[in-house]
Amino acid sequence: MSSPKSLPLTKEELKDIESTLINIVKGEVNYLIKNRAGAYFDSYNNKANDVDLVTEIDKKVENIIRDALTFKYPAYGFIGEESYVKGESQLGTDKFWCVDPIDGTTNFVHGYPMSCCSIALVENGFPVVGVVSNPSLGQIFHASKGNGAFLNSEAINILPRQLILQKSLVAFEGGAERTEGPDGNFDAKMATLKSLLSDKGAHIHGVRCTGSAALNMCYVSMGLFDAYWECGVNSWDVAAGACILVEAGGILVGGMPQDWRIPLDNRCYLAVRGGSNPEEQRWFVEAFWSHVKGRISY
Amino acid sequence: MDIDFLSVEQFLCDLAVHKVGSLIKSKAGTQQNYDLKTGSRAVDIVTKIDRQVEDIIKSEISSKYPDCGFIGEESYVKGDPRPDNKAFFCVDPIDGTTNFVHDFPFSCTSLALCVDMIPVVGVIYNPHLDLLISASKGSGVRVNGEKYDYGKKIESMGPLLLNKSIVALQPGSAREGDNFKTKMATYENLLSCDGGFVHGFRNLGSSAMSLAYIALGYLDSYWDGGCYIWDVAAGVCIVNETGGRLVGANPDEWNIDIDNRAYLVVRGTEPSAEDEQETYIKEFWKSVKGHLKYD
Repeated sequence: MSSPKSLPLTKEELKDIESTLINIVKGEVNYLIKNRAGAYFDSYNNKANDVDLVTEIDKKVENIIRDALTFKYPAYGFIGEESYVKGESQLGTDKFWCVDPIDGTTNFVHGYPMSCCSIALVENGFPVVGVVSNPSLGQIFHASKGNGAFLNSEAINILPRQLILQKSLVAFEGGAERTEGPDGNFDAKMATLKSLLSDKGAHIHGVRCTGSAALNMCYVSMGLFDAYWECGVNSWDVAAGACILVEAGGILVGGMPQDWRIPLDNRCYLAVRGGSNPEEQRWFVEAFWSHVKGRISY
Repeated sequence: MDIDFLSVEQFLCDLAVHKVGSLIKSKAGTQQNYDLKTGSRAVDIVTKIDRQVEDIIKSEISSKYPDCGFIGEESYVKGDPRPDNKAFFCVDPIDGTTNFVHDFPFSCTSLALCVDMIPVVGVIYNPHLDLLISASKGSGVRVNGEKYDYGKKIESMGPLLLNKSIVALQPGSAREGDNFKTKMATYENLLSCDGGFVHGFRNLGSSAMSLAYIALGYLDSYWDGGCYIWDVAAGVCIVNETGGRLVGANPDEWNIDIDNRAYLVVRGTEPSAEDEQETYIKEFWKSVKGHLKYD
């Protein structure tokens, strides 16, 4: 069954959806993430039920979000980390929700205060609404296309300042995929990290690692980080953050050289902050790509 | 000279929150002009706010405790001897200066009192998160002034095992020579599925915040080289009070001085599982590739 494509959502409709998403995360979702963080480590060890316990909270949060959204917007598609089936794609559909119920699950298990819920609405392949909530630090980032980006209702405005690779602070993650040798991407990631840090390479100010892709995107949006380079994540990890980033003047390109235009499910990304002009951003991206070692693919 | 550690802790807490915190918070992200401490190191940053904050702290401390020595990051000159006072204060006015310049909310002030080279009072204040964590030797830890029950936290955390741990790792500002190679090779080995295969690493860009987060049970350990006594003194006092342990970054360095420059700090465990800590340290050292060495 295929339905005819509806009209693009207006700015006002998008803002309304943004408010709906904020209300959804403010309730039980924030409560569960904040109060269950660090509570499952013990049982997590006991393989029979512990890994499952974490997944259970993940699923519970995803179900709360899905129920709320499908009740109010029954016509939209849904893709979530927990219910995702490999190979399935919603990218062809007109409008769909793209949800990571708990991004930063390792942080969640350890009680490290950098786990969040990430919800986006994707329209014709582009994230047009994004909400990311980290209840441990009391931060809700939100944006919708054409309406600007906000942290806890306060507009995100990066003061214009120089953007150059050597003076930059970059979010970088080791990730969970650590296979060395030709079968994996781990060697290329570590070689890229070394080239960025080395006094004979880019010699950047530093790297930071939060353990959450969605929060890294938000911190680039705010200009706390100058950039975030990542390979191996999925569309639900970055969709909401991508909307917030673009509304805050940042850009999202591919993680591999020359990938200026990428689909949302590209798996490899480079996010660069605003507070700079497009030419500076382009130079930054090109300078960054020159330190990417090896071709990473998924 | 008799010093009441708890009253020093209270004094340092007031100083951190009321005299220093608001200055750090209001100036974060506004300092686009900064100096490079050592010519060749284009990434070792210091701002005029660092110096201003240290001046405030130094003058408050020396009027209240005139008999104690003082060592601070900004007034220290390379080659200075250890303070010859039995008791001295040890201060990093802004730990995480790169974070401070970039407005990443993990810069903090780190204040400690050392007696006979042992940190006996430690105070760390992060004004961005309004997180104050303090401890005195033998008197436990307080978070924002409230007694902190670390035992209860440990109970909820499960066993301390290398391949289930989150480790704080920071490349730091020295990016040349053998120490940089040792660090990168060790990171790779810790992460690799053929090596330590830790759950993950986290990099906060502040030694003091990393140690505070170990005490709070957010992180399991911290491995670093190149830091100074003022980066770690307050944090080590706090971690010690929660049953954590400080050893050297290189294998078999079981007993080190607080100014060792290269460290491994591991969180506390349940009293019934004391050997977990020692096993963890030995396992961790197996992943260290090379030898960290500082002048």
